[in-house]
Amino acid sequence: MTSLHTITKPPSAAALQSCAKFLSEGDSILLLEDGVYYSADANNWPALPLGTKVYGLKEDFVARGLSKIVDRQVELVDYARFVQLSCEHDKVVSWL
Amino acid sequence: MNTTNSNTEITLLARSAPYGSGAAKLCLDVSIAAAVFEQTVNYVFLDDGIYQVLDEQDASPINSKSLGKTLEALGLYGIEKLYVDEDSLRKRNLSTDQLLPQVELVNADAIKKFINQSKFVLTL
Amino acid sequence: MKFSLVVYSAPYSSQSAATALHFAQQLLIQGHEIYRLFFFGDGVHNASKLAVVSQDETHIQQQWDSLIAENNIDSVVCVSSALKRGIINLEESNRHDLESISLSDSSEIAGLGQLIDASINSDRLVNFG
Repeated sequence: MTSLHTITKPPSAAALQSCAKFLSEGDSILLLEDGVYYSADANNWPALPLGTKVYGLKEDFVARGLSKIVDRQVELVDYARFVQLSCEHDKVVSWL
Repeated sequence: MNTTNSNTEITLLARSAPYGSGAAKLCLDVSIAAAVFEQTVNYVFLDDGIYQVLDEQDASPINSKSLGKTLEALGLYGIEKLYVDEDSLRKRNLSTDQLLPQVELVNADAIKKFINQSKFVLTL
Repeated sequence: MKFSLVVYSAPYSSQSAATALHFAQQLLIQGHEIYRLFFFGDGVHNASKLAVVSQDETHIQQQWDSLIAENNIDSVVCVSSALKRGIINLEESNRHDLESISLSDSSEIAGLGQLIDASINSDRLVNFG
């Protein structure tokens, strides 16, 4: 059972730090809304299990002027891919 | 409703402190609804959410209902245990004797298992 | 796939309502089914028909209303969240002797059982808040 974890709050809310403790093999992370600021703060990321894919919602990076400084661990995706990722994983866990 | 024959496991990850925002109350309402409809509920408190299970809450001075009292009564709905993330507890220098009697400490692996085996995970 | 979406945030206060709307539109484009929209907590404000939005801004409530009506989607506002926030339909308006109706015609008021039902009967339940 894999999960897509969505992070929508800025690094100050530390949702990624909590989420990282509970990741299983095959889980992925999607940064969106203010969660995209994690990309600018990659030095402070918690350790993620090897092979964890990190995606970022392109629209939110562009809106915030971050699209040219995307961390190399982050793969930008659009809404169409966001929907596909929700289908490819067994559930979506939103860290509100 | 179509709910009678299907038992779904639901995990609630309560991460917000009570009173200052409505999140804790919403999470509580979902737990009761899920239990009333005979779903299996794993109610987990982590991060600032563990302040929800502090003993001796009295919200009457702020004209509110005590969340702790309702959480304590969840056994009536079949939710016997309130799971607390031991890591969050340690980081806040709290111990179980300051918490509601039905809390049970769990580690990250146990919570990971709850998330994995649930059909629906709500983080509030 | 059968999706249900739960929206916890009011429009304009948080981006999440707009994210949910965009996600819902994309679901339909890809041919997925929306089993139910469930508006919860401050999210019930998404189903207000009394909002007036300036022309250079996205009218989120109106976009929800069109999406729901045009695609015949089951859209529910949580009763306990809605009434205390002034999201009222005709029935509640009459019952409580109020002068107005604020709930969009495309949504209905119902209990949290509808959320639990959605979690059981959807392939995916996605939260936005």
